Amino acid sequence: MHKHDLDLIASLADGSVDDETEARALVESCVECRAEYQSQLTVLELLTSTPSVMMSDLEKAALHRDLWTELRSEPAAKTPGASWYRWAYVAAGLLVTVGLAGVLSGQIPFGGAAGSDTFAEISSGLDQFAADGLEDAPSSEFDSTSGGGDDSAVTTTAAAESLPLPFPALADQARASREGAEATTQEESEKDEIDQCLERLDLADHVVVDELELDRRYLVVMAGDDAPDQTVTFVALNECEIVYTDG
Amino acid sequence: MSGDRDAFDTIMRSHEDRVFSVCLRILGDRERARDATQDTFLTVFRKADQFEGRSAIGTWIYRIAVNVCYDQIRRAKRRPSESLPDHFDPSDPAADAALESAALRPEIERALAALAPEFRNAVILSDLEGLSLPDIAEVLDVPIGTVKSRVFRGRRLLAVQLGNRNTS
Repeated sequence: MHKHDLDLIASLADGSVDDETEARALVESCVECRAEYQSQLTVLELLTSTPSVMMSDLEKAALHRDLWTELRSEPAAKTPGASWYRWAYVAAGLLVTVGLAGVLSGQIPFGGAAGSDTFAEISSGLDQFAADGLEDAPSSEFDSTSGGGDDSAVTTTAAAESLPLPFPALADQARASREGAEATTQEESEKDEIDQCLERLDLADHVVVDELELDRRYLVVMAGDDAPDQTVTFVALNECEIVYTDG
Repeated sequence: MSGDRDAFDTIMRSHEDRVFSVCLRILGDRERARDATQDTFLTVFRKADQFEGRSAIGTWIYRIAVNVCYDQIRRAKRRPSESLPDHFDPSDPAADAALESAALRPEIERALAALAPEFRNAVILSDLEGLSLPDIAEVLDVPIGTVKSRVFRGRRLLAVQLGNRNTS
């Protein structure tokens, strides 16, 4: 048999062939082809029926302990580059998905006294929900009320306190990417909505440096180019409310 | 930047089982697979700024895991006293213990171990880990056609090893 015939039969066996006609004809007309086809099916069945392997809880706990021991000795993280921006999106998406599932199923408490649902508590709850009682989750230093060095410059809403989103990291990224970049442009139909919202929030002199589609739509705004102010403000556009200020 | 570490922790917990699984399939030993898993995530953390988002993050992590396993195998070959069971010797009394820890039926594990690495790893990623051909191409840094060819040949060679087919 020619090589290409074997590949065609293999494609038929794993269902990846686009048009089965020629492959089927081969298998039906050729004894060796049929034997090859059966052999491929047998191997595939053996392999794909193999149970998946997982670490035991003890192995995971040991892994987390050893990994974080090593990471804590790493130098402090530098200001995130562009890749960490995407990293934060991925993590935020995972947290929101798992958190929403947990809230809806009643396994994760939602709300509570203002400030009580810090990221550490939510993260801890998500860890338990998503990983069935892992022992060694690292303590989170993320506090939704923290931001830059001056607490008085930071405000949050109740909505922000319950959101497991890495706003400080996103704010740093906004500052880093702002240099040399122009303000984002919006569709004409949206511009009015954005302008009205910023005016209502007394941010009319700010520019939109980015837009985020996470659990909802956020505008990332900063003072105009000439202003020395590096404060980054996150605005939930649909609700037209400030959810976080970092500066 | 604490937010970075929290994001990393979330991603690690989402992918640790898959990373461990592929390391165990390649290395055939739980302890080495656990070490390789740790090394993988250390590399992920240190090289996070190199992730450009051109592939899914899981695919990128898989690629790191496979390379970490290759590095382990190469290092072990340079230290014969700590040689990995890259090709199992059925007469080795320790072989069965290593095989059991990999959670594959012994005959399948032996047949896989007898394959050349390029075919073995292609079959592991495709048929045991369930990756798509484009993802495997990304992980192994070879064209999709090469992946397809390696997977098909790998299965054929496995069939020969398992006694399903005569060598042709």
